[in-house]
Amino acid sequence: MSDAAALLRVRGFALKRSGDAKAEVEDLSFAIQARETLILLGDAGAGASAVMRFLAQVPDPGATLGGTIQIRDQPEQPLGKSRLDLRTAYLPGPHANILNPHESVVSQLALVIARKTHQPKASAAAELDLALQRLPGGPSLDALDQPPTRVAPEALAAGLLAAAMSQTPDLLLADDPLGQLSPAHARAFASALKAEQQRLGFAILYAALRADVARLLGGNLIVLRSGRLIEEGPVSRLATAQSHSYTQALFRASLPGDGLASVRAATRGEPLLRVQGVHLKLPGKVKDREKITFELRRGASLGLIGEIGSGRRSLTRALLGMEPLAAGRIVFDQVDIGVLSPAMMARLRRRVSFITGDDDALDPRMTIFDTVSEPLRAHLAMPRDSIAHNRDAALKRVGLAALPGSRTVASLAPFDRRRLQIARAIVSQPLLAVIDEPLHGLDAFAQSVVRDLLRNFRSNEGAAILFITSDFGLARAFCEDGLVFKDSRIVERGTMASLLRAPQDPHTRKLLEAVAALPVQSGTDIKPVAEDPVSSTQPPGG
Amino acid sequence: MWRIWLLAAAQFLGSLVGAILLVSLLPVIAHPPDGLWPFVTELAERFLKIGSGDFGRSAAGSPAMTSAWAAFPLTVQLLGLGVALALLMGISLGFLLSAPRAIRAAAPLLQIVTSVPVFLVGLALIWVATPSFHVITSADEPDLALSIMVRHGDWNSAWSAYFLPALTIGVAGAAHLQMSLRRAAAAAWMAPYRSGLRMMGLGLLDINLRFALPEIIAALLRDARGFILTLISATAIAEWIFHRNGAAVLFLNATASHDWAMATATLLLFAVFTLIVGFVGDLLASFIVPEDTL
Amino acid sequence: MSGSLSYFGAGRHVSNLEVVSRAAGVGGLGLLAVIVALNNVIARAPAGATYIAKRLLPPGSDAVMGSDALGRDIMSETVHALAVSFSSAAVSTAIAIFIGALAGFAAVRLPLRMGAAVRVISGILRMIPTLFLAVVLVALSSREFFAISVGLAICPEVFNAGFDRASSLARSRHAMYARASGIPGLTLLRRDLVYELRMNIVNVTGRALASSATILATISFFGFGAIPPHRDLGLLIAEAQTSYLSNWWCALFPALALVVLVLCARLAATDDSGQPS
Repeated sequence: MSDAAALLRVRGFALKRSGDAKAEVEDLSFAIQARETLILLGDAGAGASAVMRFLAQVPDPGATLGGTIQIRDQPEQPLGKSRLDLRTAYLPGPHANILNPHESVVSQLALVIARKTHQPKASAAAELDLALQRLPGGPSLDALDQPPTRVAPEALAAGLLAAAMSQTPDLLLADDPLGQLSPAHARAFASALKAEQQRLGFAILYAALRADVARLLGGNLIVLRSGRLIEEGPVSRLATAQSHSYTQALFRASLPGDGLASVRAATRGEPLLRVQGVHLKLPGKVKDREKITFELRRGASLGLIGEIGSGRRSLTRALLGMEPLAAGRIVFDQVDIGVLSPAMMARLRRRVSFITGDDDALDPRMTIFDTVSEPLRAHLAMPRDSIAHNRDAALKRVGLAALPGSRTVASLAPFDRRRLQIARAIVSQPLLAVIDEPLHGLDAFAQSVVRDLLRNFRSNEGAAILFITSDFGLARAFCEDGLVFKDSRIVERGTMASLLRAPQDPHTRKLLEAVAALPVQSGTDIKPVAEDPVSSTQPPGG
Repeated sequence: MWRIWLLAAAQFLGSLVGAILLVSLLPVIAHPPDGLWPFVTELAERFLKIGSGDFGRSAAGSPAMTSAWAAFPLTVQLLGLGVALALLMGISLGFLLSAPRAIRAAAPLLQIVTSVPVFLVGLALIWVATPSFHVITSADEPDLALSIMVRHGDWNSAWSAYFLPALTIGVAGAAHLQMSLRRAAAAAWMAPYRSGLRMMGLGLLDINLRFALPEIIAALLRDARGFILTLISATAIAEWIFHRNGAAVLFLNATASHDWAMATATLLLFAVFTLIVGFVGDLLASFIVPEDTL
Repeated sequence: MSGSLSYFGAGRHVSNLEVVSRAAGVGGLGLLAVIVALNNVIARAPAGATYIAKRLLPPGSDAVMGSDALGRDIMSETVHALAVSFSSAAVSTAIAIFIGALAGFAAVRLPLRMGAAVRVISGILRMIPTLFLAVVLVALSSREFFAISVGLAICPEVFNAGFDRASSLARSRHAMYARASGIPGLTLLRRDLVYELRMNIVNVTGRALASSATILATISFFGFGAIPPHRDLGLLIAEAQTSYLSNWWCALFPALALVVLVLCARLAATDDSGQPS
């Protein structure tokens, strides 16, 4: 990376908190030029957030800074001694907690723009509107004039990007905004971000948890681990040839992985789940609602692939009798669930387990032992010795045996909670496992571990799997068959092999192309799809 | 929004009906007729009578609601003075003590002060005022209104009849208010959006004034019902200790003498008052910080 | 890139202030319980015994806390009254928790209409001050049952707190996933009760005890509560009302005892933020 005429040059950045034995960041040096992208890649706790906080000029009480900083041609100065003469804008991920939940997104973003650019709020709102119009297919200002909980993540991401652009920054501090988006939306967002970068000429400092983001954005890469620089270089070089084993592991973890080795190996007997002519009860009028029909055999795996709001989750809730059907019939384990009372339906659901990317899926008050033991007590009425034995075996399989069993779920990191969900699913001995975006919010290493655990679960437990995801790479790794959803309709269906080999529907092609490095067979008649809109204005759900 | 208000109005009317049913129960339970059906019949009759404004006659022979209504302005007056003092003391104390260091320093003192029952506060005020300011509390009901006492310079009467009782009520209200305020402030300080907005470039003052403060005010307004219940209890105690014949002490005396007509009338007045205050508080709170439900 | 959540106190950082406050509260209540248990040993005279010392003696060597207009030893009377107040408050607290809090939790699991009806009834009862409700219940029953009446009067508030808490737990995402995987309602109720009891029992009990002690003393002060010779602290203070301006010790020591009882209960219930409850 050339230092000539750098916009920003940092030497020996170090941050240590009082009371901590180890520094959060040690001796990190980097330089960024205008129009350049620098990615700080590493897992949670690698140190990128400390750099972000410093450059965003948010005081870190109790922290000692070391190192020097030079902005453009100005003299080099020690870190933290004075305000930085640099226009920065912060671009976070579109999770709902980033903004006040009671006030509209527009109001809050306009206030941020107004304060950063020293203009009245009304002018700031107008700037925001203009910036939104520049984003291809971006949401309207009215669509964002709602509390953040009512705005779809893609729309919120576009709003945050527009707010950052309105500040005409010299340096954009991007705190992994792509990590919260589905692959298709992430790809579109990355295109929009790069287009804005070319137009406005700002530099990007991007904090990433996963290497696939680096592939999307390009530029230069610094790999961090426990606050230290491990490796650096252009993304184009590091994506194909890494020197350090840690970097290799990060890039390997971001690959979609191999597909299923055997197809339909465990399918036998009657279908476990038969869905016949189902209409979902959805808000609003939907013309020509398609009747959904499919079946899932015992031990087989079916991917429900689509974006948020496409109807996958509504269908899953209907399959479990948790939502009413407008029409149709669902037979689960040879029982028509339409004739069951709520109590009997609840008994049927005992053979269903969930593994989700939702951090709130487990009761935070419960201990690790209680979380895994509960299905054994409640469903299988096992004696205590057996419960303890099965519980310990499951925890060992997922790598949580070393943690004290009396630790509460609330004290666990998301990675550990995800593994705990898998342990709970193991002991439940389910007929059907519903796996819903299981890698959401995890860093690269955690994702590779969870992937392995899920493969292990699939091959050992023999449960049929409904896999809900927007990532075709993930679906390919776990599913034999797939249903592609859009607007509560199935737009394409087939085996994963056929969907990959010859996708017919444009939406399917779009989802496929969003997954970088997905091996698609040669000779495929896939035309490059035009850059898709950044966002939809669908409310979150389904 | 209109759906929420409609629901709130329905809840208000439902609660009003419930309050009337509740007070109708008192005399029926006090002198229960034999058998379930006579009980239900008498309850229904009482409910309809009270619903149409007929509360019966008190033990003294006068219409119960008339006597209760006549005593209510004094209670409201004392309550009003108490509210003003409570807001003054409670809000300033609450904000002062919402900073973490201040909390740690003042916590032990605050614990002691808020543990003192209201009637002890009233007695303590008399104990301080009598020798220090020569205030004499009399068992006789004063004839004059506060404004007249002040105009004539009758400070002894003003203090014993109005200011000391109001101070008693105000201290109770301040204790409740500063606890509500600190809880609301603690929730606002810990809100997750603060760090995001800070990183995006908003200053602490902006975040506190624009986001935290409305949430704190809304939380206080939602607690209006609890606040007024505390003050009504304190008013009853203050009227008792300072020998004021307000509606609260009328209720206590009526209940003690089993004058259920009077007890019913006064209790309904307080229930409706609380209902109105709670309703208004919730409505105002929904303006300031809209929630999905009221 | 977000940190882990803290939730209902599980896994949260516990401040030193909270630890010290709770320990002081629980320790204080323990000490008071010992005093109450040994009240007949500690007090030098039985409850209500007159002319133990000269009338209206100030605190001194003859009477540590002085004597009242009937020559009753204030220290003995205070200790006996503390025993009555403490045990009455304990009865009221037990009623409030078993009928109020537990019922509040269980009511969420009732069929929709029943749960809503119970909630509405509780909401109506909360339109009148707890003190007034206690007075009404005493008047409808008898002064002998004043502790039970106060316990029942506190029930609506405790019930609502339990109901609201249980409702938020029932609506939570983890409860939704549990139901979706067939965990029975009884198991979820058991889960809620066990964990809420574990985490909050001291908190809830402390709050209920503080409320009970305050309301019991207040209604006794009004003359609705304890019946002589089993005076409680409120009645003792009421009797001292005619003379305390000149004979301050007649009211001060019972008042201090009452404040200490309420203070210890509130310290034991120090809330999640380490602030006084």
